[in-house]
Parts: sequence; structure tokens; C-alpha cells
Amino acid sequence: MAPAQDPNSTGGSSAGATKDEASLKVPSKDLKKKDDKKDEDLSEEDLALKLQLELYVERVQDSDPGLQKVALESMRQEIRNATSSMTSVPKPLKFLRPHYGTLKAYYESMVDSDLKKLLADILSVLALTMSAEGERESLKYRLLGSDGDIGSWGHEYVRNLAGEIAQEYAKRQSEDAPFDELMELVQQIVAFHMQHNAEPEAVDLLMEVEDLDLLVEHTDKTNFKRTCLYLNSSAKYLPGPDDTLVLDIAYMIYMKFEEFPRALQIALYLDNMQYVKQIFMTCHDLLQKKQFCYILARHGITFELDEEMCADDEEREGLQEIINNSKLSEGYLTLARDIEVMEPKSPEDIYKAHLLDGRASAGASMDSARQNLAATFVNAFVNAGFGQDKLMTVPSEASSGSSSTNWLYKNKEHGKTSAAASLGMILLWDVDSGLAQIDKYFHSTDTPVIAGALLGVGIVNCGVKNDCDPALALLAEYVDREDPATRIGAIMGLGLAYAGAQSEQIRSKLIPILNDAKASLDVIAFTAISLGLVYVGSCNEDIAQAIIFALMDRSESELGEPLTRLLPLGLGLLYLGKQESVEATAEVSKTFNEKIRKHCDMTLLSCAYAGTGNVLKVQHFLGQCAQHLEKGETFQGPAVLGIAMVAMAEELGLEMAIRSLEHLLQYGEQNIRKAVPLALGLLCISNPKVNVMDTLSRLSHDSDTEVAMAAIVSLGLIGAGTNNARIAGMLRNLSSYYYKEPSLLFCVRIAQGLVHLGKGLLTLSPYHSERFLLSPTALAGLVTLLHACLDMKAVILGKYHYILYFLVLAMQPRMLMTVDENLKALPVPVRVGQAVDVVGQAGRPKTITGFQTHTTPVLLSAGDRAELATEKYIPLSPILEGFVILKENPEYRDDQ
Amino acid sequence: MSTLTVSVKWQKKVFPAVEIDTTQSPYVFKCQLYDLTGVPPERQKIMVKGGLLKDDADWPKVGVKEGQRLMMMGTADEIIKAPEKGPLFAEDMPEEAQVVNMCLHSVPELKSALTNYPPSGAGNNVDQSSHQLTVATRDLFIELDKNAKPVAPMQFWMVLRKKYPQFGQLNNGAFMQQDAEECWTQLLYTLSQSLKSSSSSEEPDTVKALFGIEFVSRVHCTESGEESTERESVYSLKCHISQEVNHLHEGLKRGLKSELEKASPALGRSAIYVKDSRINDLPRYLTVQFVRFFWKRESNQKAKILRKVDYPLELDVLDLCSDDLRKRLETPRQILRDEEGRKLGLKVDQKSSGSDTDVKMTDNEESANGNGGTSKDSSLEGKEVHLTGIYDLVAVLTHKGRSADSGHYVAWAKQENGKWIQFDDDNPIPQREEDITRLSGGGDWHMAYICMYKARLVAM
Repeated sequence: MAPAQDPNSTGGSSAGATKDEASLKVPSKDLKKKDDKKDEDLSEEDLALKLQLELYVERVQDSDPGLQKVALESMRQEIRNATSSMTSVPKPLKFLRPHYGTLKAYYESMVDSDLKKLLADILSVLALTMSAEGERESLKYRLLGSDGDIGSWGHEYVRNLAGEIAQEYAKRQSEDAPFDELMELVQQIVAFHMQHNAEPEAVDLLMEVEDLDLLVEHTDKTNFKRTCLYLNSSAKYLPGPDDTLVLDIAYMIYMKFEEFPRALQIALYLDNMQYVKQIFMTCHDLLQKKQFCYILARHGITFELDEEMCADDEEREGLQEIINNSKLSEGYLTLARDIEVMEPKSPEDIYKAHLLDGRASAGASMDSARQNLAATFVNAFVNAGFGQDKLMTVPSEASSGSSSTNWLYKNKEHGKTSAAASLGMILLWDVDSGLAQIDKYFHSTDTPVIAGALLGVGIVNCGVKNDCDPALALLAEYVDREDPATRIGAIMGLGLAYAGAQSEQIRSKLIPILNDAKASLDVIAFTAISLGLVYVGSCNEDIAQAIIFALMDRSESELGEPLTRLLPLGLGLLYLGKQESVEATAEVSKTFNEKIRKHCDMTLLSCAYAGTGNVLKVQHFLGQCAQHLEKGETFQGPAVLGIAMVAMAEELGLEMAIRSLEHLLQYGEQNIRKAVPLALGLLCISNPKVNVMDTLSRLSHDSDTEVAMAAIVSLGLIGAGTNNARIAGMLRNLSSYYYKEPSLLFCVRIAQGLVHLGKGLLTLSPYHSERFLLSPTALAGLVTLLHACLDMKAVILGKYHYILYFLVLAMQPRMLMTVDENLKALPVPVRVGQAVDVVGQAGRPKTITGFQTHTTPVLLSAGDRAELATEKYIPLSPILEGFVILKENPEYRDDQ
Repeated sequence: MSTLTVSVKWQKKVFPAVEIDTTQSPYVFKCQLYDLTGVPPERQKIMVKGGLLKDDADWPKVGVKEGQRLMMMGTADEIIKAPEKGPLFAEDMPEEAQVVNMCLHSVPELKSALTNYPPSGAGNNVDQSSHQLTVATRDLFIELDKNAKPVAPMQFWMVLRKKYPQFGQLNNGAFMQQDAEECWTQLLYTLSQSLKSSSSSEEPDTVKALFGIEFVSRVHCTESGEESTERESVYSLKCHISQEVNHLHEGLKRGLKSELEKASPALGRSAIYVKDSRINDLPRYLTVQFVRFFWKRESNQKAKILRKVDYPLELDVLDLCSDDLRKRLETPRQILRDEEGRKLGLKVDQKSSGSDTDVKMTDNEESANGNGGTSKDSSLEGKEVHLTGIYDLVAVLTHKGRSADSGHYVAWAKQENGKWIQFDDDNPIPQREEDITRLSGGGDWHMAYICMYKARLVAM
């Protein structure tokens, strides 16, 4: 035991000393003393080794090449034998340290020969511990040495070498020196890493030397998954064009190994429709294609298949139907039936007033129209997509015009718009019955009802496409009506139904309104938003121009209106997530009237960098918020939202943003404080983090009404579709606390409705596919609502409450639904648990923790991941979310 | 080619092969669809690739292809129209007005008097708004009788607001919660005014006969020994609530005794007078108000006394009556006692002696009585009816909440069949009799604010 212990302890201390010596030459005397002392402690074995090595060093300097060779080779032998373990500095290296300088000096005096190369090899290894910082001697001697197998010197050596290459590369790049020889080495190192489960190192090195293309040829069936996983997750932290490059490589690797669903995800992340097309053309399995269609549908983009992608007409029709989301309603209802929540819920079931004691339950002091309006929204949110409720839809035998009309007319004027539109929300995604039921409102003589019907048509068609384009057919003619309310209904309806569709027809229909001198401000504002939605992230020049002109046409007083601020937002949506592409437009916006200039600038920037996680932009926004304003400018609101929009991209940035927002709350002024809850709401949408919940709960009692209202709505947003009992309890208490404040109570009701969104089956999170993909339309919907909430009193509490329906863009079932090859629901056992980050982990780590086994369809919460608990089927998508097609595993043997 | 075959999707149905004659106008095609779906052509909306099919469109221009799928929207149902009587908001009318009406509604006599009220009250000396209010009340009652469904008392509410603007007081855009008692008093006053003057009414003062209580008060000054008697008429008894009051009876008694300071002619200065009132004349319907609200100076609001005050289902006011009245009541009470004695055997004495006998027993009697009540009334029409000083509870108006400006008013009324119903805004809820006595206060549940008792009558 004793000898074994001894080297460990000395090894430890000398490892630390090695570095010291390398960087500081002065204290080497002391160390030498120490070494002398240690000599006495050395075991006989070590002493022998030491003497042996010293002998080799002497022999190397011998004049006899034969002797030199023997000496060098034995030295190499010793080192190689020892480098197998790296827990401490290997003994040969340790003992050779005093002779490093000698050997180096001797090397310089040698004539070129194989022996010289051999010595260079050894020096390269010795430099691993002895080279001074920044000297990169290991690399230097490696390049001078023989090009032997790089792995023979062990892992640590390769790793060190890789680090030095990166440094050398940067240096040579700045000097414009050639680096061909480096690349040769890189090739070797990458090959070595890739073969030895060190994909992250290989990727890192290649990123440093900017030659990721090399990676593709080194991937094989065993390592490509881990490689791509690392590529994907590192892309989030890379700046500028590098991230795209990395993902391109990942895409190529996935395509190489025919891992199409993953490749598709990357194509969607890059928003590269060319790639999507390529995937469809490369893959020949119809079933797989169907799975692609489901992924496309969930992402919410409009995509037309052509004959190249699928030759057979009938098959193509079937595929297109999946992309069009025609079966979404059906799947959602299957889930609802399975979970047994089909029974409609009334707003009272949500308020649960009986759980409150005393005063609040009556709520008698509230303005009835507002209470009913709140109930309308709660009813719409809670029963969204279920096709039945207790207020708007009634069984047909209950004679037309009984309670459904009654409820409609229990809302005042513009309230009727929201009430009629709520029918669209209840019948969400079910175009056939939705249109049939909304039809009756079209014949109404009441303008707000017609406006609501138009909006309702838009809502029903949101996220669902239909060959006949019913929304366009029905709404188009109302766009040019006289009455502003009707126009807004039609315009917003088109925006919702064709979000992301980039439809030429809609564009030609809506652009003239922006220049229409007779159109009122609200009509123009909603037109800008709708155009922004339809062309979200398209960078469309024409529309940008039209909105810019519309903004320039506004009079001084109009520029102060809260609704005017929707115009820059419409403009921003055009560039959603498109980063630099916004610059030209942002430059133009600098010429605007100063009332709106900065507001517009912030809005554009926040939209353009939304979901990128760009730290510099977050800092920029924080800088804007640090100013103390006196002139009542409004730009800090969008800046605060911008922090959330940019930082929401990944978990780490998100946590940091939450912390920064906390600071803003303490030091910011009112216009910042009222935006902070909304930003928190966006960061944790449908993901009730306890710390955020507590912050919002605190703010919901803030003495400033606007802060309190924003906090209350945000409580609804973070709990959206979760049925979170804690938030529900908080809101219930708030309803009693604010029972005499109609505006706040309205917000509380809306939040209550949101928490029970779709009875807990829906999510508002724009992120999906394991939080990798960001649905642009969903984000656009959320951002629009949040911007409207920046001026709650004028917009949502005013007569534009139907802005709340923009949330429909983000509403998606948070389910896993497994279907068989005929797309019929197929219940299978799955494990659902908290997702674990496995990036860069060795072996085959578990991907979920704390799981429970359920039978599909199942609900997935934020941060959950599912995996099949049976070998009987093979999922066609590696990510078990939304609709997943299962095919039978041919190798499966039933045990019994 | 003059015919095309298309499929038409309507709601969830698909009509696979519909032929289009391209030489005819699309209206003809719509008529074809009318046969299939029953949706009249003018209600049909047919969507062709993002456009609607116009009746007079040209088929070639529409560009329908063979085998294309069209979508049709439209329903054969009735078109929904806005309700004629404008939108109604249950809470637009403060509840106190509703609940007062619900209580008054349980007085059939008032109903009949109102029904006799001439629609055009011109010519009498009542001001126009009082007249309107009376008419509105009558209409409301009639509507309440006719309808099983919730009734929106919009008209009534509008008129009430006109007559007494304080009920229309707004607070932050919402109608302020008003005091039900105030509403009650005002409404009764108006009705009494207008019904008194209406010539067609048989009795000179219906409301007074139904609700009026006459007091005879002895005002006595302890210092000077002066004494005087006063007579006054009120519409309700007040039950003052203090520390010692646990039961309605005690509260009523306290209400009869009051101290007041007034100038004494004998002493030449102001002195404390004790006013001791006795009931001298009883009404058919006795209204008892619990004085639960008082003005709290510190918080500048009407505070509410939450104290529990029991009230009986059957009230005997004999000991509150003046000697004169007691004498008058003696015979009818004897008759009543005999009558009930016959029905119930030996329990007569107990019952008439005190009103806070145990609830269970009163229940029995109550149900017996409730059933008999109406038939008795009708059979006695010919003879002269006399009051007995014994009253049965017929309606309770309750308030729930902590302050007068907030909370919720609800009416609980006994129906003719003896069943109790809670009128909570627009939904009536049946209640059991024992629940009614639980409204006596002492918590956050509904508590009685106004009780209406109906006299038990005997014929002689």
C-alpha cells in the first residue's frame, strides 16, 4: 500500500508545481530543492525509472545514431506506457522535466533526420506539461515531428494539441499565414476524437478552425446523433452567420444518415424552405412524409406540396390535408374525450366563487356589461376548440334564438363583437361546423354582431387551411365596408386565418387601406397588424413601405394615440426573427417624427432579434431602460418586452433575463415597471415557474394600477392552459380583493380564463419540439397582445378587447397523440418525465427523469419529454410531441 | 361542354356528384343545392377558391373545374334577431328594487289594487312620475305572474330612477348599491299616494289599510311630569338592535320606547321626554325592518350590524298593542284559538301565549295554516274579517355583505302553496321553511333586513 499512496500525493503536488515552473522560472530553485528532497522519498522502482530516463537523455545526446535511436525509442516506449492514465502527471514526464531544456537545445543542434523527427515527437509530448504558456511548443514540435498516429500519445495530448491549434490558427489568420499543415493535423485530430466518443471536442476544434465541413465525412452511424445534438445546442450560443453554418452542417449530417425528421427540424429552424423541399424529395417513404407533414403543421407554416415532392395526386392530397391541420380538431377532441373533459364549463365553474367567503362572491358592485364581457372571454378560452359550451352554443332542440342569442345580447355594443367572435373560439379548428354555426350572425342587423361573426370566421380558420379558402371568400367583401367596426372584424379575421400564409390576395386587399385617407386610425392599425401577421418574418418590401408611409401620414396628435403604436409592431412582425434584414427599415424609421421614432426603433429591433438569444441586443435594451425619461416617451415599454423576446430563446439566457427584469422593477420608473410583468409573462409563457409566480403575485397588489393589471394578466399567461392550482388560488383571492375595481376584476377574470385555457389541454408556448423550434405566428400573436397590454386602459379595457383573440395564434394542444399507419389513434404506453439535458454526455444517458408511465394520448407540460415504453412500435419522429406516427417494430417478439 | 360534376361540402356532409349546367346562371345551381340541403338560395354562400359565387356570375369566369370540391355555408335555421326589448343587464337594475318588488309581490291584495289602477291616471292630483311608477309596478307584477322565465324589470327600474334620482346614483360608472329599506319606503309611499287618489279604487287608502300601522304614543317628561299623547301612522315597525337584543320581539319593544329632547313649556328649557308608543291599529301586512345599518362616522360609511336576531315564523304583537286595541283583539283571538284548538287539540294555550315556541311545532302549525290560508280568505269574503294580532311570515328580504353600499340583496317569499322560494337575481331557488329562520344573522350568510308578516284573520 505505501508505495502506491506515495506517488499519488507527490504526483498531486508536482502537477501543480509543473505549471508554476512553466510560467515562472524564478522559483524553480526552490522546486529543485523540493525535488531533491523528494528523491529520497522515491521508491526503488521510481528511482530506477528516473535513473533509466536520465540515462536515455544522456544517450540521446550521444554521437552514435544507433544509440540515439535506441534511447529515443525506449524513451518513447516509457512515455507511451505511462500516458494511459491521466489522473496525475505520468512519471516519465515528471522525471524528464528537468531535461526538457537540454533536449530542446540538443534538438536544435541536430541535423535533419528521422531521429530528429523522433526527438521532435518526444519533445511535443513533453511540451504538454512543460511548454510555457502561449508558446505552443507541443504543436511546434508536432509539426516538426513524424506524422505518426496521433492517438498513440493518449487523449490528453490530443486535447492539448487541439487547443494549441486553435490559438495558432487565430494567430496565423491575423498574419495571413498559410495553415495547410495545421489542417492536416486537424484532420487527424478530428478523426481521432470522432472515433473516441469525443464529438464535442472535434466540433469545437473545427469551429475554431472554421472548417466544419470536415465533420461530415467523419461522422458515422454511431456518432452522428451525438455530434448533431452538440451542434444544435451550440448553435444557440453562436453569433452571427456561424450559427446558421453550424446548423447547415447538422442538416447535412442528418441527411447523410437519413434522419429526416431531425433534418426537417433544422430546416424549419433555419426557415429554409429549400431544405424542406429537399427532404420531401429525398425521402420516399409515404409514412415518413406524413410525419413530416405533422411537424410542418405544428410549426404553423403554410407549405404547398408539389408534384416533385409527392408524385401521386391522391397521396399528395392526403399529405396536404395533414399540413393544413384539417385533423387537428379531431385529434384534440380525441384527447379531450380520453381525459374526460368534454363536459362544457361555465365561467362560474372557473371563478369558483363559493370557495371565497363573504363579500366577493356577490360581485354586485361591478358594471354588468364588463362582467359579462369577461365571462364571454373566460367561456371562450376555457371551452376553446371543444365545440360546446354553456353560453354560446346550445343544443339545437332548444329552439334557435334562445339562450345563445340571449348571451350574445347580454353584452353591450362592442362587447357583442367579442361575444359573437367567441363562438369561433369555441369551435376553433372545426371549420365545417364553425362556419355553419357562425352563419346565423351574418344575417344580423346589428353591426357589432356582424363584426364579431367576421372575426369568428378568422378565429375558426386560425392555423387551419382549407382548399376553398372560406375565410377569404367570406371576409374579403367586408374589408371595404364603411363601418370601422365591421372593417376591423374582417381585417383582423383575415390576419388570424392567414397568419404566415404570405398570400398575395390578402396583400392586394389590405395594402390600399393603409393609404386610405378616409380610414380611421383603428382600421389602419389593425390592417398593419394583419399584414404583419400574414407576412410574418417575410421581410416583404412592399408592405414595409406601405406601413412606413402610413406612419408618416399620421398627424402629430394621432402619433400620441396608443393604437398608432400598433403600426410599428406590424412593421416589426415583417422582420420577426430575421436579425440584420431589418437594418434598412430601421434606418428609415430614424426619420420618423420623434414622438414615435424611438418606439419604432425598439419595436423593430425587438422583433428582428426575437428568439435569437442575442446577448448584445439584450444589453442594448437594458441600456435603453436605464435612462430616466421625462418627456413621457413610450419606447421603454417595447424595450422591456424586447429583453424577453430576445432572451426567451434558451434556458440560460431566460434565467438571466428574469434576474435583470427584477432589477428593472426596483430601479425603473412606472413606464418600465408596467412592462416588466408582461415581459415575465412572455418568458415563462405556459410555464409557471415558482419564482416568477411569486414576483407576479407580489406585483398584482402593486399600488400602481397598471402594474397590477399587467401582473394579473401575466399570471394568466404563465399559467395558461396548465390549470395550475396555485395560480388559480391566487387569482381567486385577487377576485375578492379587487371586487370593487371593475377594471382589475376584468383582468383577473381574463387571467382565470387563461389558466384554464382549453380546460388545461392547450399551451400558449410558441416553442415546440423540445423547445427547439419557435413558431413565428404563435410568437407574433403573443407579441401583439403584449404590445396591446402596454396600454391596457386604452385598448383592452377600452373597446378593443377582442385583441385578446390574437392569442389564438399561439394556442396549440399540449399533447402527445400516437397514431397508427392509417392515422387512427393508437394508444400505447409512454413514459413522461422531466427532460434531461444530455448534450455532450458520454454513453447513452437517460433522457428523462422522474417519469411516470401513461397511455397515449397524454398531456405534456413545459419541460416534459416522452419516450415510448414499449418496443412493439417505432416512432417515426424522434421527438414525441403532437401527432406521432408509430409503425410496428418488425423485430419485436412478444414474450409470452 | 355544358355540364360539370362537382362535389359540394356542406357542414360535415359531402354531396359527391352535383351537376352544374354551365349555360344556366349559378342561381340555378343554388336551387339544386336548396333541394339537397334545404338552405334557401339567398342564404347560401358558396366558396370557390377564396371567392363567393355570385348569383349572376358567369360559370366560365368562375373557373370551376370538373370534380372540384366546393364549400357551402348557410343554415336553414331561423335568423337570429335582437330581442325587441333591447339588451338587458340583470345588474343594471340594483337588486334592492327587485327584491322589494318580489316581497311586495307576495301581497295579493296589493296586486289586485294595482290591477284596478287605471292605466291613464290623468285627472288625479298625482304627479306624472308617481303615476308612471305605479303603472310600472303593476306591469311588472302582471309580467311576474305570467312568466315562468326571469323578467327584466327594465321599465320599472327606469321609472323608479326618474322618480327618485338617488337610486340612479353612479359610482365609478356602476350603479351604486342602494338601501333596500329606502327603496321599500319610497315605493310604498308612491303607491299609497297614487292608489289613494285613484278614483276607481274601492277602498280609500289601500296601501294604508294593507301596511299602515297606527301608533299611539304617550310622551312623558320625568322632570316636569308633563304628559301628552300623539298619534302617528307608519308603514313599518323598526327592530332596533343592541347588545341585549337576541330576538325580534325584544327589538320591537325597544323601538317603542324612545327618549327625545324637546323644549318643555313647563320647565322653560329643553328636557328629556320619554316617548312610549303602543300600536293602536294593525295592518293586514306588518312590515318589520331590522335596523342593521348605521352611519359610522369614523369610516364614513354605512356600517352593518351583524348580530344575530331571531325572528319567528309566527309573530304575536299583542303586548305591543295599546289597551284599546287589545280589547278589540280579544274576541277575534278567542275565536281563532278555538278554531285552532279544534284542529290541533290541546296545544292552543301554548301557541297563543308566546311566539317563540320551538320551531318544530310552529312548523306544523304553519303548514296547516299556510294551506288553509287562502281558502279561508276566500270563504270569508262575505263576512267581516277581523285582525287577531297574530301574524305569519310571508316574505323576507335579506342582505348579504359587510356594508350597506355593497353586498347582495335577495328576496325570500312564501308562495300561495306554502312553499318558500329564494329570488336571487334572475333565478328562483326553492327553499325549505327551516332555512328561512336561519337568515337571522350572525355571520356572512344572508340576514334578514325586512320581514313581512301577514295577519291571520278570523271571520265574525
